[in-house]
Amino acid sequence: MPEFTLISAPPLAGYDQSFDGVTLSAPADLAIVSIALPLGGEAAAENAISAAYGAALPAPGKSVLSKDGKARLVRLSPDAAFVIFTHATPDVEPHVAARLKGDAYTTDQTDVWTGLEIAGPRARTALERICPLDISPQTFVEGDAARTIMEHLGVLIIRTGDDGFLLLSASSSAKSFLHAVETSIHNTA
Amino acid sequence: MIINHPLLGPRDAAEFVYLGDASLIDRPDWQDKNADEKFYEYGYLRENPAGKHQELWYHEQGDRSWLVLTRDTLTHEITKVEMARDVARARGRSK
Amino acid sequence: MTQPNRIEGGQVDRSKEVKFTFNGKNMRGYAGDTLASALLANGQRLVGRSFKYHRPRGILTCGSEEPNALVQLRSGAHQEPNTRATVTELFDGLTATSQNHRGSLEHDLMAVTDLLAPFLSAGFYYKTFMWPKAFWEKLYEPMIRKSAGLGSLSMQDDPDSYDKGFLHCDLLVIGAGPAGLSAALAAGRSGARVILADEDFTPGGRLNAETLEIDGMGGADWAAQALAELAAMDNVRVMTRTTVYGAYDHGIYGALERCTDHLASSDGKPRQILWRIYSKRAVLAAGSTERPIAFGNNDRPGIMLAGAVRAYVNRFGVTPGQQVAVFTNNDDGWRTAADLAAKGVEVTNIIDTRDAPAVCDVPGARHIRNAAVMDTVGRKGLKSVTLTSGQVIPADCLAVSGGWNPNVHLTCHQRGRPEWRDDISAFVPGRDLPVGMAVAGAANGAMTLAAALTEGRDVANAQIKDLGFTASRKTAPKAEDEPRDCAPMWHVGESKNRAWVDQQNDVTVKDIKQSYREGFRSVEHLKRYTTLGMATDQGKTANIPALAIMAECTGKSIPETGTTIFRPPYTPIPLGALGGRARGKDFRPYRLTPSHDWASKNGATFVEVGNWLRAQWYARPGEQGWRDSVDREVVMTRNSVGICDVTTLGKIDIQGKDAADFLNVVYANAFGKLPVGKVRYGLMLREDGICYDDGTTARMGENHFVMTTTTANAVLVFRRMEFVRQCLCPDMDVHLISTTDGWAQFAVAGPNARNLLRKVVDEDHDISNEAFPFMACGEVTVCGGTPARLFRISFSGELAYEIAVPARYGNAMIEVLMKAGEEFDAVPYGTEALGVMRIEKGHAAGNELNGQTTALNLGLGGMVSAKKDCIGKTLAQRPEMNRDDAIRLVGFRPVDRSLKLIAGSHFINQDEEAVMANDQGWMTSVAYSPSLGHSIGLGFIKSGHERMGEIVRAVSPIHDTEMDVEIVSAHFIDPEGERLRA
Repeated sequence: MPEFTLISAPPLAGYDQSFDGVTLSAPADLAIVSIALPLGGEAAAENAISAAYGAALPAPGKSVLSKDGKARLVRLSPDAAFVIFTHATPDVEPHVAARLKGDAYTTDQTDVWTGLEIAGPRARTALERICPLDISPQTFVEGDAARTIMEHLGVLIIRTGDDGFLLLSASSSAKSFLHAVETSIHNTA
Repeated sequence: MIINHPLLGPRDAAEFVYLGDASLIDRPDWQDKNADEKFYEYGYLRENPAGKHQELWYHEQGDRSWLVLTRDTLTHEITKVEMARDVARARGRSK
Repeated sequence: MTQPNRIEGGQVDRSKEVKFTFNGKNMRGYAGDTLASALLANGQRLVGRSFKYHRPRGILTCGSEEPNALVQLRSGAHQEPNTRATVTELFDGLTATSQNHRGSLEHDLMAVTDLLAPFLSAGFYYKTFMWPKAFWEKLYEPMIRKSAGLGSLSMQDDPDSYDKGFLHCDLLVIGAGPAGLSAALAAGRSGARVILADEDFTPGGRLNAETLEIDGMGGADWAAQALAELAAMDNVRVMTRTTVYGAYDHGIYGALERCTDHLASSDGKPRQILWRIYSKRAVLAAGSTERPIAFGNNDRPGIMLAGAVRAYVNRFGVTPGQQVAVFTNNDDGWRTAADLAAKGVEVTNIIDTRDAPAVCDVPGARHIRNAAVMDTVGRKGLKSVTLTSGQVIPADCLAVSGGWNPNVHLTCHQRGRPEWRDDISAFVPGRDLPVGMAVAGAANGAMTLAAALTEGRDVANAQIKDLGFTASRKTAPKAEDEPRDCAPMWHVGESKNRAWVDQQNDVTVKDIKQSYREGFRSVEHLKRYTTLGMATDQGKTANIPALAIMAECTGKSIPETGTTIFRPPYTPIPLGALGGRARGKDFRPYRLTPSHDWASKNGATFVEVGNWLRAQWYARPGEQGWRDSVDREVVMTRNSVGICDVTTLGKIDIQGKDAADFLNVVYANAFGKLPVGKVRYGLMLREDGICYDDGTTARMGENHFVMTTTTANAVLVFRRMEFVRQCLCPDMDVHLISTTDGWAQFAVAGPNARNLLRKVVDEDHDISNEAFPFMACGEVTVCGGTPARLFRISFSGELAYEIAVPARYGNAMIEVLMKAGEEFDAVPYGTEALGVMRIEKGHAAGNELNGQTTALNLGLGGMVSAKKDCIGKTLAQRPEMNRDDAIRLVGFRPVDRSLKLIAGSHFINQDEEAVMANDQGWMTSVAYSPSLGHSIGLGFIKSGHERMGEIVRAVSPIHDTEMDVEIVSAHFIDPEGERLRA
């Protein structure tokens, strides 16, 4: 047994609140690994991703679930994507790298980001106060993903359900971002 | 302003950072015999047109792509948006 | 309390009585009243004093164009000056007070200014308060500000909150009058996403103020029915109490929604919301504004615009007077007479400037043709009017109509110029409209109800067809074309007394003529010289008459004389709304380091570094001020071991087959041969050869590097590297991603650093000096398997490491390091101690990499590789930047060791005068060195590296001090680097 142990304390660990018409929570154990497609090796990388996840890498601005439904592939730009799934510890990058068999570059992004899930019939009304993107049901369809700026902070917003969204923002400012979302919910209640 | 990103569609200019003249892509060769003069022009001399202007914008709060916009500096009309990487290749910056 | 001027009818809710006070006087009105309609109902004609002359003023209009009826609302911290009574929705408990008077409203002591009017004409201030120069700021301006002005601020923090938001639509319809409603119905029925915004609390625009019929029903009823249909559509959002105040690029509009201004309390919710509306198309249906006619003493309370008078009668059930006369140059003025008469209000005379037959039959009213009002009587309220014929007509209310101006304001926000239309004697929108905007209804010069309804529908249909929608086949609602003939008359030339054009700024016809005589003839000069068109109403009722009068002076036509151009905002926007949530602690987001909680509990004082909060020092009980803490942290670190959270340094993960080549482009020094498992210091230049940023880059694998940047430049360096990657080297296989927030990184520095880390790093990783020497790096595990990265780098000059663990373990990591370090008396240190130690070691930081200095200046000239290109290489070779006497970074110490060096001091040679011509350089960083026991400094001085031991003077004219300092090596501590290699 090592003499010392490290206790995990993500910025919003355990946050889970219900408001009238909206739920807001910080998902536990979110793992995020970025995948970069090598120049000239894009096809090989895309094949490796398809083989590993049973789903083709979607176009930029879109996301898809893996065949087993356990991982979400988010295409951020022509040569970059995230794979997001549930895993308890921030050490999963080598595992993703192994699944891709060296056909893509991987970087652990797990603790770079802090997730917030917002859902409910009033979710869009609340987000209207901070999100400059058009996230109406017809325009921002399920699986759509976009990076944008909310209250001075970079945010990756992914529509995960009828009225559910996953919001990823930088871990260091996660508390400020939570405050911004909570204020929006309060202001629209 | 709204910038119609070639891959992501219309986005508020607030997501972008402006750099300037797209001639910044045309960085001279350091081994050129007139490298001094060329770098001086590259570094300091810009056209300042009242009208169509090709300029570099960076989608910092987006997909991190550099774009080349053709924008009218009088009306802000944006007539073309290209991926800067494609423009750079077209201008012969491939290795 | 009775409401003497309340009459039958109108849309107010008589079942809901509302109590309010004006200047402390209890009054009553009804729900649906504005403050203005309620004041009129209560017989309160006098509501304020004018800006410059303290003239008694009343209510001129019934809308946002009001120049006179400005009041102060609410009290205490909620006090809000300069609100227009005409758009203030009445609520129970409202308190209002009048503005700009000393003593009571009725007996304003400052009214004496009015007697001085002959001396106070346009340009008076410019001409009079010129000398002596210093008096302007200290005496004249404060004096003028006190006597001339509007309301006053509470001088307390605004207790309300504000918010912002973003909306998207296919079609934005601005204004919910007949044209706007018709447009919104057409677009809504087609399925397009529509936003309909209206500044009023009851949409309908003039339909609420008129007795006109649509489709056989009352206009107000039709409006209510249209709104009900729109409200039932999922694709339509109706926003009342919302002013679209600005048209910006590419279909973006600014709008202010007043959420709680009509309530006694905001109840913790935002008072107002500033919306940014992204529209694909827009229809401007902003209606039109009536213009007055200028004549002698035309500013008396009781003299109002004719359209406003009938709005008070028709919409609010309030008559502004008991004995009303109408003065008009157009058919529309007659409608006021007819509507009032129909409601039983006595209309005595209709004074028409035209020699034309009666427009309609008005029972009991005398029609005086070819006549005009030239003067009036009644200082605090109108008593009679005098015609040019000399005839005196008793009246307590004069309804004036000079015709109507289309509200073209938003069409000008992108530099569009309105165009003159002779047939309606008014400016209409020009051809250069903001992208995506079309104009309909009165705003477009379609001055009749029938035309407005048809144009609203047609314009909206054209707009949505452009977007691919199919227009609904429903026909436009039907209405009559009412008579609208107008014969322009701008002012009554026979008037002897002052005739007011801009009542808000007290500008008269005479002032405009004087402006012309003195050469201020362009509209822009007229505005600046006379102040016409400024302040809260922005000349909505004044600009066009003023332009017409200037045209008369010049002998040119109105369009030849000029057009007024409007800028945002259409109506005033509170600064609170512009600020939104960005107040106090919410001004901007904070970034917290992973050990923030631990630091807060352990005496840290935080400093803002960009958005980061970093521990500056950790105070211990008994320490007297920050210096005690910082000195202790330095000493304990140098004696044993210290720990500092350095997470804020930018971290960029770089991968790709061309990663090393890429680094060679962005860094001045070469990285190609850096072995895996090693770290190298890297220096970045700007393209002009000036130093940009520095940091370390570790090679984690053949194609994998981890770069650190300075905290301040993390974002900028990343941006620039993406520029190089995409724009300069588009075919390099290299990929960048920031991992700054992903890793909690701690510097562990001091002779016991390794001993401490040995207790934390798992045993299978050998971190001995041999296995893990200075500038080594590698992936390790800590505390039984947690992945970590270890870098043997030193900013302090001590044996030092930086250890990084996933950010979620950061708080635990510092606890573990402190626990494991107990036996070594480990100490946490903050940015101050970090700064002291780097100065002692002679490391450059932001003060030295200040955007003016080169690698040569920093003593790093040798780092710029001769064998390869890099950003900044060519221009760094310019002769001027490589002069023999170029400034060099060296150390300084005071000759008298007890003195404190001052950063920013300039160096002057011993025997030379302290003037700029003799400047030798400057002191960049100073600190008290607890290791040496005296003040030390870093600085740039000409040829510094060749002047060791020389004494120069450090002069600070700002502090009025100078002292002798000795030039020494910048490496005050361990110049041979033995400690960091230990």
